[in-house]
Amino acid sequence: MDSEWNDNQPIYRQLRDRVVAMILDGVLKEGDPLPSVRTVAAEYRVNPLTVLKGYQELVDEELVETRRGRGMFINAGARNLLMQGERQKFLAEEWPRIKATIRRLGLDPDELLENGAGCGPKSEAKKKEEER
Amino acid sequence: MKAPRFVLAVVLMLFAAVALAQSPAAPVVASDAQKSFDKLKALAGSWEGPVTVVPPQPDMSTDKPLHITMRVTSRGNALVHEMQEAGTPEDPTKYDHPVTMFYLDGDRLNLVHYCDAGNRPHMVARSSPDGKTLEFDFVDLSGGNEYGHMQHAVFTMIDDNHHTEEWTYMMPGDKPVRAHFDLQRAK
Repeated sequence: MDSEWNDNQPIYRQLRDRVVAMILDGVLKEGDPLPSVRTVAAEYRVNPLTVLKGYQELVDEELVETRRGRGMFINAGARNLLMQGERQKFLAEEWPRIKATIRRLGLDPDELLENGAGCGPKSEAKKKEEER
Repeated sequence: MKAPRFVLAVVLMLFAAVALAQSPAAPVVASDAQKSFDKLKALAGSWEGPVTVVPPQPDMSTDKPLHITMRVTSRGNALVHEMQEAGTPEDPTKYDHPVTMFYLDGDRLNLVHYCDAGNRPHMVARSSPDGKTLEFDFVDLSGGNEYGHMQHAVFTMIDDNHHTEEWTYMMPGDKPVRAHFDLQRAK
């Protein structure tokens, strides 16, 4: 985890976001333990209460579970839960803005894919088509 | 002739009042809030110690304890309290160094905590009957509450070189998390 913090959000919120990114990227897998509050506090030079706040938020979101005396662990299904949430967030918050920009600039989907915007199976298919 | 006598009486009364004001003052009885504030100010200095948290977490012991500094400022009218991880550079713009100010307002001992969540909860102290424990209850908040706020603080004076602090943070959704510091005066 990066130890630099930005000024836009409280550190505990940024800490939560970093753990979320690590789950989405597969760095932290289901069943993996989270590093202890004290370790994170010492390593990233933040108050233990700040770390606990970040972890508690993950517990509240059901991404992490507390096992008494053993620490916190990534819940089964955490990645799927996050993917659903992140997809919905993207579609509800980011996509309308992107869509509006695409319309405003008169871009069509093929043009976007040709310019490297696509990285999914569709663009791969298009590449193969072009190779042929 | 009545008017000059009246004026004379008023002048004499004023002299008497001034003379009384300059005589040795009767001892001022410190209010309970003042006594509590004086006890807190006696904690000025550097403190270090281990932290435990609620919900409980394993592996909380470490060779790097939490560091707290307290200093009296503004000619004794305020006490500054700062928390930081031991060994962290003194750079509150970059590191997690929350600041708390204590001050008297009439018969109330107040605390304002300047949180990295961007808000400033205000609390007022209650003293235990033996005066050794000061419990700060939440009064109001300036700044937003999007990320929760510090809600409660308890200071317990054990002796000149030991005290404990317990800080409760209310997460969004009113879920509390607590940290308890067992502190001893750092040399």
